Amino acid sequence: MLGRTGASRPLGPTTIHVALLLSAAFGILAGAAGYWGVLRAPELARSPDDAAVIAASRTVPRGRILDRDGTVLARNEPDQHGELYRVYPSPTVSQVIGYASRIYGRAGLERTYDAELTGLAGDPLTDAFAKFGAERFDPKDLTLSLSYDLQRAAVSALGKRRGAVVMLDPRTGEVLALASTPTYDASRLADPATAAATFEALRDSKAQPLLPRATLGRYVPGSVFKIVTAIAGLGSGAITAETTFKEQPRSERNGLLVEGFRVRDGHHPETGSKALDLIGATEVSCNIWYALTGLETGGQALVDHAARMGFGAPIPFDLPTAVSQVTNGGGTDPGGFVDDVELANASYGQAETFVTPLQMALVVGTVANDGELMRPRLVTALTGRSGTRSIAPESMGRVLSSTDARAINAAMVKAVEGPLGRRFTTGAKVSGVTTAGKSGTAELGGSGEPHSWFIGFAPADDPQVAIVVLVEQAGRGGEVAAPIAGRLLTRWLKGGE
Amino acid sequence: MTAEAGRASPRVASLPRVLGPIRPRPRWQELRLLVLVALALGIGSVSLGATMTGTFALHDPWGLGIYLAALGGAHVAQVLAGRRTDQILLPAVAMLGGISLLLMERLPQDLVVQRFFGASFGLAEVQLIWLVGAILVATTVSIVVRSDNWLRRYKYTWAAVGVGLLLLTFVLGTEINGQRLTLQIGPVSGQPSELLKVILVVFLAGYLSENRALLVEQDTWLGPLRLPPLPYLAPMVAMWAIALGIVVVQRDLGAALLFFGVFLALLYAATGRVSLVVVGLVLFLLGSAAMANLFDHIRTRIDIWIDPFSDPLGAGYQVIQALHAFARGGLLGMGLGGGLPEIGGRPPIPEIHTDFPLAALGEELGIVGVVAILGIYLVIIQRGLRIGVAAADDFRSLLAIGLALVIGIQAFIIAAGNLKVLPLTGVTLPFISYGGSSLLANALVIGLLLALSDKGVEPPPRPTASSRWRRLTRRGPD
Repeated sequence: MLGRTGASRPLGPTTIHVALLLSAAFGILAGAAGYWGVLRAPELARSPDDAAVIAASRTVPRGRILDRDGTVLARNEPDQHGELYRVYPSPTVSQVIGYASRIYGRAGLERTYDAELTGLAGDPLTDAFAKFGAERFDPKDLTLSLSYDLQRAAVSALGKRRGAVVMLDPRTGEVLALASTPTYDASRLADPATAAATFEALRDSKAQPLLPRATLGRYVPGSVFKIVTAIAGLGSGAITAETTFKEQPRSERNGLLVEGFRVRDGHHPETGSKALDLIGATEVSCNIWYALTGLETGGQALVDHAARMGFGAPIPFDLPTAVSQVTNGGGTDPGGFVDDVELANASYGQAETFVTPLQMALVVGTVANDGELMRPRLVTALTGRSGTRSIAPESMGRVLSSTDARAINAAMVKAVEGPLGRRFTTGAKVSGVTTAGKSGTAELGGSGEPHSWFIGFAPADDPQVAIVVLVEQAGRGGEVAAPIAGRLLTRWLKGGE
Repeated sequence: MTAEAGRASPRVASLPRVLGPIRPRPRWQELRLLVLVALALGIGSVSLGATMTGTFALHDPWGLGIYLAALGGAHVAQVLAGRRTDQILLPAVAMLGGISLLLMERLPQDLVVQRFFGASFGLAEVQLIWLVGAILVATTVSIVVRSDNWLRRYKYTWAAVGVGLLLLTFVLGTEINGQRLTLQIGPVSGQPSELLKVILVVFLAGYLSENRALLVEQDTWLGPLRLPPLPYLAPMVAMWAIALGIVVVQRDLGAALLFFGVFLALLYAATGRVSLVVVGLVLFLLGSAAMANLFDHIRTRIDIWIDPFSDPLGAGYQVIQALHAFARGGLLGMGLGGGLPEIGGRPPIPEIHTDFPLAALGEELGIVGVVAILGIYLVIIQRGLRIGVAAADDFRSLLAIGLALVIGIQAFIIAAGNLKVLPLTGVTLPFISYGGSSLLANALVIGLLLALSDKGVEPPPRPTASSRWRRLTRRGPD
């Protein structure tokens, strides 16, 4: 009987276990289908690797890109097989628009807005009912805040030198010009006939023409960084516009001794014996006053105020941005500074401080807009079959009080229009318009020529445009960058809107 | 148990009574479900036609008509045969086959071109021929097979046939994509591993039903593990060796996974011993680790599985494109014919008709469709297991359970590969993937399940396990 009981032990329970296990396994499959089909779907279905995106990119006309006046900055041409490729009006916009190439993928706005330009519907509800629609693709035209006219002027002002110009409307964050030189001809990259040779030449070029310097180039700021120090000093309450330092006149001749390091200064024999305040120190770009302000403010407050303007993280923008830094954060002092020497040097932009031109545009835009920072943006509207969607201005928050912003504004006016300031900012003034600004000469150490900087805005009493000019290794800020800024500000205020 | 009846039935009575007196027995449930299937497929075909040609009509009325007529014929044959067999299996499988037909009609027809008797046939036409063949096989087997003696008594012969097939493939097989899976004899070519899985289940059912008592009742201690007598683990080790052999010789990960999965599940169902499954899994993992270290192609598969996005245009291409297909489909899908964007006239996934039909259906029918298809597989599994539990003796039980598991585990393995739940292995999605061997072998499984579901025929023979038990324990069974 033993054998019979063993053999006839019912199979039911174990079979149910197997059934439950299989059901659970199929449940996992259903879950996985939901994961890929719903949770990960927006990202996958809009990726440039997606077969539908690739197929559409060859047949569905990509949306156009227009400047603020309606000038076409990117359009389509059919090749000999009837498949479309992109054509751009001139190399001046390549660093902004980027390219859409069948072989080399996408860059610039063509990359950021690939899904919109291709016309893949973005929202999950439309996607879910895609099968009931007649046409899946709704390519959007992008309207930019960029002025093609101003952009061309900026590129031609930089000329053969390497550098960048950022111009924006501080009240709305609309970027008006975003020039990086050298430029490249994106049309030749997009045209399948010339793409390969063009790309190889560009990739191998020492001048790095594919690098958008305005957004991805990181530079020593030099004296233009003093505006950040002023914002932190006033914003944290460490100083007022009237603050003077006893040590400053004493140290003019031999330098200010900070923990054994001498902060030197030497631009201004006329004011050497005077104790300067914010306006005076900004007019003559006094390193010692700013070093003392930085020490008074403290590393933590300096880094915190810089972070409110975008330092320490990629700037939320329509193009990829490099991270700007006040310090590399390797030290143990507040804010990550190594010691007071680094803090003192950082306060006038000569330590481990690296900034992108776009970041400096946010700094100067904050001052121009009475202390409130607007998110920078290029795309102002998306227009498709389903209508036009406008992108509204968006605040990134108040960085400092309106009173403090006006004090810095006044100091920057003095730096352009004051009898002494004029000497450092030759040609920056727009005739007949009160102009504010600050030049910078960023020493690189070694024997190289310094980077030439200018940041500013106009009109000072009602700022409509802020500008950052950087020219790599071109010499003193007042001599190279300032005149470029003056020409471009004049063109925008007198020749534009 | 029906020991009395078993003793009473003489061996001679097991001659097949193929064409006995015809006593029709209506099968209303099957008919109702088949009408539902026909309606669903008709709607699918109209939807496909609307997308492909822009007209509100059936996409390929002849193809669908032939398929539905074959189903109708199968139903009539079952009614006329008058057997009291399961009425849900055929409609469930018919739905999957119909989805397969619609999918193959929708894909580029030149993915497969075969010549029969001087005429050349495209993808959907070839698949339709195999589908009709499959219906024929399932129906014939389900009606004709009234005795299981031919399976029960010759299990070692069947095992030998299986190993023989494997060796034959190894020696004479044609290598395609680095895998030696296809055996070509004259004009006929096929994948023996599809037939092998049925043979495996027959052998395991025979072996386990005979030795079940031993495996359950007796213990050997291996350290802390309580195991059945070691000699009776020999088949397990043999299975393990065969599975690894398939991986090494045929480079067929999917078949190895399927065989081993079915083996472990059936072993558990028969014995209820978790320790056996644990030992099996450990052996399997050790074997996999060793294989991954020894063979590049296996390591590549695993690397792709872990991170396909590291090489999106190379090794990971197909897997990623499948995931993209699910993403494009979303909840409701793009509609039949509306998805699978072609680049240069090709669908985005090269092996879409064999390895990735679920991804294609995921794109066109959406998650809703995928879940429905998975549900149909669960229905088939449930019917199979139910037939197994209700069967008259252990052999029939284990045979039915094993056959159900073959379908279920195979569907799981390839669906999991499509969804990146498991590494991708090239087994077919039962009843949906393109391919004659797969369709015919799975039809054989369904035919056997249907035959086993008939409780009205010959009772099983008297259990023979008792004789071995007696020898071992030196005690009589009564």
